[in-house]
Amino acid sequence: MNTRQVALVASLAALILVAGCAQEKTRYGDAKGVETLTNQYGSTDLQIMAESMARSMLQAPVIASSNLPVVTVQEVRDKTSEYIDTRAITDSIRSELQKGGRVRFAVDAAGMNQQTEELKRQQSDLYAKDSAAEMGRMVGAQYRLEGNIISIVKQVKDTKDVYYKLNLQLWNIRNGLLEWSDEKEIRKTTTRG
Amino acid sequence: MKTSVLVALLAACALAAGCAHKKGFEKEGFAYGCPIGDTKISSMEDLTKAKTVYEGKRTTIVDTEMRCTMTGDLIKVDTTLNNDSSKVKRINYKFRWIDREGMRAADEEPWKPLMLYDNSNLLVNTVSPNNKAVDFRLILRSEE
Repeated sequence: MNTRQVALVASLAALILVAGCAQEKTRYGDAKGVETLTNQYGSTDLQIMAESMARSMLQAPVIASSNLPVVTVQEVRDKTSEYIDTRAITDSIRSELQKGGRVRFAVDAAGMNQQTEELKRQQSDLYAKDSAAEMGRMVGAQYRLEGNIISIVKQVKDTKDVYYKLNLQLWNIRNGLLEWSDEKEIRKTTTRG
Repeated sequence: MKTSVLVALLAACALAAGCAHKKGFEKEGFAYGCPIGDTKISSMEDLTKAKTVYEGKRTTIVDTEMRCTMTGDLIKVDTTLNNDSSKVKRINYKFRWIDREGMRAADEEPWKPLMLYDNSNLLVNTVSPNNKAVDFRLILRSEE
């Protein structure tokens, strides 16, 4: 290999190295900023829906009466054409309401196994009887929160339009009455070019 | 004659004062139902200026009207945003809630995207996240 060939190989290696380094760059962003990378369901949609629903629910007479109603969170059915973790929506709404200090939440169906397992564990001989949680003391919810999220997607050539609608309902468990209901709509349009 | 002029003047003064009261300065420390603290507010323009903060890229969207009311111990806010340009404008907005000590009463809200048609008004409303919030600011920034 002559000097010229060595220089060429070295230059090519340097170029590949530079190109490789230029590809990746990681930065922290604003978790509460508006995210518009794609028109699929994203963090901004989750945050807007959770905030809007929680604020609306805070004004519902059964919540605003300030007697700390006990609510259990049931399923938000995903009726969209994509996969949406609806648990993340109800978790965010629950956190927002909990911070508002107007509602108490009873353990829901998803957390029931862990709750009963812990109760049983505390009933074992390992724990002091006076400090162990007793059986039969759990508080039943007065209201249950459930809902649906739907989407309508339309696409022509270079334009894709997505419409999301989240509907939530608060049902009185004892008498089956609907105590509160609200909707939040979001429309996103993506155009190419 | 002099007495009757004096009486007429006093009546005019009382009438003017009465009208000024009806303008919306219903409670000390409040204007149009919105908490204002010690800020001197004499018109709707003063109120919207005091309550609106522009951050990031400036927008030409202006807050033209703001009214508040209490729902229980929460502040409910209705505000009208105006786009007086001949183009559709896109902005982001959020509310910042302040407690009695002037600290944040709640976590920072997410930015919310908003589209305003050309030459149009849009009503934005919200309610405070908890009863610790006694004041607020509307934050606006351009998305263009």
